[in-house]
Amino acid sequence: MSRAGRYAVGALGLALAVSALASAGPDAAAGQDAKHAVWDGNRTTPAHLIPLRDENDEPIIPTETDPLPFSVRFTCGPCHDYKTIQGGWHFNAMTATKSGRSGEPWLQVDPKTGTILPLSYRKWAGTFDPMALGLTTWDFTLLFGRHFPGGGPAEPPDEEVLAEPASRWSVSGKAEMNCLACHNKSGRQDPSEWAKQVLRENLRWAATAAGGVGEVGGMASRLKGTWDIYDGPNLDDHEWAVVPSVKYRTVDFDSKHRIFFDLNYPPSDDRCLACHSVSPVDAAQWSADADVHSTAGLKCTDCHRNNLGHAIVRGYEGEAAETGNTTAESFTCRGCHLGENAAGEKSVVPGRLGAPFPKHTGLPLVHFKRLACTVCHSGPKPTDGFTRVRTSRANRLGIYGVAKWSTDLPAVIEPVYAKDARHKISPHRLVWPAFWAKISGEEAVPLKPEDVEAAAGDILKPEERIAGILIALSQVMAEDETPVLVSGRFVFAPNVDGGIDASERAGAKADTPALWGIGKGGDVLPLVPKFDPDAADKDPAVETRLLEFLQALGTVPGAPGQPVIIVKKTLYRLVDGFLDMSEAPPEFAGAAGPGWLAEGTLAPLASDFDIRTVTAKAGTEQTLTEEQVRLVLEALARSGERSDLVYISGGRMFRLGKDGKLTAKRDAAAEPVTWPLAHNVRPAQQSLGWNGCTDCHSGGSDFFFTTLRGTGPLLTANVEKRSAASFMGLGGLFQRFFGLSFITRPLFKVVLAVCAFVIGALVFLAGLLFLGRLAGFLEKRSEP
Amino acid sequence: MMFTIIVFLSFIGVVAGLAFHRFRTTREEARATILYSELFKKYAAWLALRTLQSARKASPKAWWEYIKALPLWRLPVLEKWLFVGLYGSFAYLAASGFFFAIFVPRGLYGFPLVGHVCAGGLFAACLAVIVIIKGRNFISVPKPVSLSPALFDPRKMGITAARVKLAAFWLFALTGFLLALTALLPMMPLLRTSGQKFMFEFHRYCALASLLAAMVFAGLELFSPPKG
Repeated sequence: MSRAGRYAVGALGLALAVSALASAGPDAAAGQDAKHAVWDGNRTTPAHLIPLRDENDEPIIPTETDPLPFSVRFTCGPCHDYKTIQGGWHFNAMTATKSGRSGEPWLQVDPKTGTILPLSYRKWAGTFDPMALGLTTWDFTLLFGRHFPGGGPAEPPDEEVLAEPASRWSVSGKAEMNCLACHNKSGRQDPSEWAKQVLRENLRWAATAAGGVGEVGGMASRLKGTWDIYDGPNLDDHEWAVVPSVKYRTVDFDSKHRIFFDLNYPPSDDRCLACHSVSPVDAAQWSADADVHSTAGLKCTDCHRNNLGHAIVRGYEGEAAETGNTTAESFTCRGCHLGENAAGEKSVVPGRLGAPFPKHTGLPLVHFKRLACTVCHSGPKPTDGFTRVRTSRANRLGIYGVAKWSTDLPAVIEPVYAKDARHKISPHRLVWPAFWAKISGEEAVPLKPEDVEAAAGDILKPEERIAGILIALSQVMAEDETPVLVSGRFVFAPNVDGGIDASERAGAKADTPALWGIGKGGDVLPLVPKFDPDAADKDPAVETRLLEFLQALGTVPGAPGQPVIIVKKTLYRLVDGFLDMSEAPPEFAGAAGPGWLAEGTLAPLASDFDIRTVTAKAGTEQTLTEEQVRLVLEALARSGERSDLVYISGGRMFRLGKDGKLTAKRDAAAEPVTWPLAHNVRPAQQSLGWNGCTDCHSGGSDFFFTTLRGTGPLLTANVEKRSAASFMGLGGLFQRFFGLSFITRPLFKVVLAVCAFVIGALVFLAGLLFLGRLAGFLEKRSEP
Repeated sequence: MMFTIIVFLSFIGVVAGLAFHRFRTTREEARATILYSELFKKYAAWLALRTLQSARKASPKAWWEYIKALPLWRLPVLEKWLFVGLYGSFAYLAASGFFFAIFVPRGLYGFPLVGHVCAGGLFAACLAVIVIIKGRNFISVPKPVSLSPALFDPRKMGITAARVKLAAFWLFALTGFLLALTALLPMMPLLRTSGQKFMFEFHRYCALASLLAAMVFAGLELFSPPKG
């Protein structure tokens, strides 16, 4: 191009730039908003090659030193209005005016204090408002942020941050709504990484790390509360209190520092299932079936859809009337398959997404009147004793790593058929709450687990103490040796998490006394071998071993005294780091093995209470004994709580009687929390009733007559027991009688059919006769 | 709601019709005028008087005496129990069915429903036997029809109380058949939801027709004027 040409192009460019600047302004911005709010009709998802911006709305240069993590608000916000999305279902629990149908509550589980507390910011029956219990948004985020998509309580307004002086928002930053959590198509999206970052209090870094956008190091949880992101890295500490930092995957950026996000407009099922998986406890992965809609090719978001407001269609009857979103009528079972609204009116066009019209041949109408579709079609089939499942959010599923994150507690039970808000029977999931509480008026107000733990002192720590001893001893064990405690039918050994694992010994008696030993190749050897300390030819290695044991026991945290070992009448202990051998005082006569010497008295290595408690709980999932509950209630009373104090577990409320014994009774506060389930929907051939009425209506069907026992952290026989029919509000006697009537029903049908045939035939004949005479075909018979 | 309205209107209509029949056949004043308005006035006065008189007389004891005096108890033993089965089951079916349909929004449920189903079976069995053994007594004997203007004149159609009673019997039998059929078919794996809905409604209206037929039959049978 000639010089004149270059000038001409330059001038033209300048003119265009000036005119563009002149035309930009509020109107243009409004036009842009409108453009982004309204779909242009194209059904494709645009390629998202976009510049990242940090929380100061500054562009991110991935190659610069210590770049900040990207901010969703300022990266995605320019095109997708952030405030509008904040009103969405996943983010508005604290601000929504309507709660909608009950959903799965957040379950605060603390095994040590035996707490299973259903929490929700929404006003759902059976749940507690976290704020009313003194849980700040900071506490809530650390407890449950692992399964948040950001936003909501994890992104509180600034005034709330200031009102929570104990929180560390200024260090961690807020976890903004993470669009990538749901919309990222890339296999790099890692919910486990999100959970780890949240637990490290790296909230503002979590989206960057979980989205695979960059590698995040450091832990905000180890930084001082005064640290601020503008303070930069901690130059003095590269080992412990390392400041979180990002190393971006520069390969994903182009030369203009734009990153390519591989996004889905409607999220894929994997993204939903990260937080919404439910699986039977004992099911193998390969044997688990998906929802019939998924196998038919539908995605979660085909039905659970939303607009920019992210008010996701939940798909229950009555939702349209509650929310005003009439589209929701199409995405209930009845809407899609029958074209009916909640009132049974033909208000929508059925067959959306190819939904087949159900025949329901031979199904009496009362079933449609009294039951939700999900009773016959959703969840596992009723079994004896119900099905125990684990859910992503309750049992911390889907977080993978070296440590085991998933938990057995809480016990989530399904399908419990109970009446819903529409008085229709529908399948529910159920959890029995467990918590310590003070009675205030008619209400049981839960105590915070940390307050209970503080008041309980050592009562809740038998496992900790025994683990401390075993872990200390493991320091001096050979590679093929493990320190163990044998008690009752169980052998206790330390595990990698700093706790103890119990394994059952075949053939062992329940009253086997406690013995500290060494596990070796499947055998248990005594910790202190048999030998005569006074023998001249004793093996010096034995005493060396005793020295090692005493040294190891000396490291036990909170040891009640000096470690000693008594062999016959000889007392071994450490004096100035050397093994000291002396004659045991006469008051120690009969004692043998390791123990603690404090102020002239000898205490066993672990107290009878500790051993009794861990032995009782071994092999169960319970974490408290009745003795512990009694002691904790006494401790709470001593700690200044003047109220009536109770513990709730397994559907019963426990309190101390006047005689100091534990009493239990039913109470409304101990009632289980339930919420309707809708998935997985089974294929039609696996629905209830496919094999006939006796799928449910028989003398002993699991649908009506299986019994649910209350479960909880307390090891007790005193639990609530209820039949399935009682949850439905139906009389068990009638259902049993009605079920038995189906034995004679085939005969009844035959009798009715014969009678109908006889009556019909005679009426028909009489009619023919009448007609024949009317027509003159038949003459009246003359009387004889 | 519609069903409830129809039930009440038809029930009142049949009771009023039967009463009018009795008024017309037993009271002199009914034949004293041919003016419909006059006739209606006299009928209304008579009906009010009879209602008051009946209400005064009615008592459990009176009803018990009335039931004891029914010719039913003088029938041969098998026949007696056959009719007891028919009347008893029909009374329970009508009472339970209409009470729950009209006054209980949930409809018939629980033990009353089980009783209704059992009574239905008994009713069908008794009715089948009765139609076999008694049906011949209710065969109508019409003259061969011929085309004439009289064919369309109600007064010349030959509608008599006896013939209405015969028609009521066969209507009762026909509705009994339909009731059994509409109870049976929904129990079979044949009908879809719309078919079930239709059968449910049809069963109710058949029950209403059956009840009305029974009322007409019983009214004409029990309150027929003395012969001769």
